[in-house]
Amino acid sequence: MLVSDLYELRERFDNEKILLCFNGPISRSLIEEIGNALRNYLKTEQASPASALDVFAVYIELTQNIRHYAVKSKLVGADMGTVVVSFRDSHYHISSGNLVRYEDGESVLKAVQSLDGLDKIELKKRYKDQLRKPREEDAVTGAGLGLIDMARKATAPVQASLKSLENGLGYLSLSVQI
Amino acid sequence: MNDIKIVSTQSTPLIETDSTRGVIYMEGDSYPENSFEFYSDLVKWVSHYLKESERPLVVELALLYLNTSSIKVMMDIFDELEEAHQVGREITVNWRYDVDNERVAELAEEFKEDCSFSFNIIGQE
Repeated sequence: MLVSDLYELRERFDNEKILLCFNGPISRSLIEEIGNALRNYLKTEQASPASALDVFAVYIELTQNIRHYAVKSKLVGADMGTVVVSFRDSHYHISSGNLVRYEDGESVLKAVQSLDGLDKIELKKRYKDQLRKPREEDAVTGAGLGLIDMARKATAPVQASLKSLENGLGYLSLSVQI
Repeated sequence: MNDIKIVSTQSTPLIETDSTRGVIYMEGDSYPENSFEFYSDLVKWVSHYLKESERPLVVELALLYLNTSSIKVMMDIFDELEEAHQVGREITVNWRYDVDNERVAELAEEFKEDCSFSFNIIGQE
């Protein structure tokens, strides 16, 4: 991208009320640093401590899911993540995207869909059931408990989409509203 | 028995144990990538303490944010404390939090639901 194009990129960020955006290989230390920046930002924006903690929690679950998947799947490029945090219509939106094997993406979509329409009490039951499952059962995509946790914190159903790419791959996007 | 003294980092809490007084102290955030690895020493310490003695155990917590894998480890620890309590062990958990952040109290409350020992959630101004 040419330097002169950055202004347009910046304008797009501004228009979409994006307060934080990252695209690239995600490391443990990067998750911490960006998380720290996010927390400080939320503090200066005077978000309530509860919603600041919810936004941070969703950010951590999404990014750590990407890291865990990259390690477990051994898929080249799976550690390349896109993370976007925006604030529009009085809500924070935390989104993440990463490369997956298409069938793994499908199982995440299925897991997200299975939570759709559940009320707070049903979600809590799912959460507690999942919490008590042996660790191995939770390890397939690593996203079991995290997804339910995010759905519990979210103020709207978790959005998930999967774009089909070549060679049996897909690009998985998740978005959570707080 | 050997006590634990782990200093806090951005993503891991301070952890201290005192086997002579029967106290565990934890403070801070907990979101390590591998919680099972991070907490393995504490999990071992708890099992050892419960087996080696019959003395009470007090768990003093000032934890703020826990990622889901930390929550899972903490639940395993609380389950073990519950088992010990069921056979007569005196167990107390005191979880202190800032009253401005009700999320911490809600988190503590969900742990408390599954415990029959003394579990105090203490809001501080």
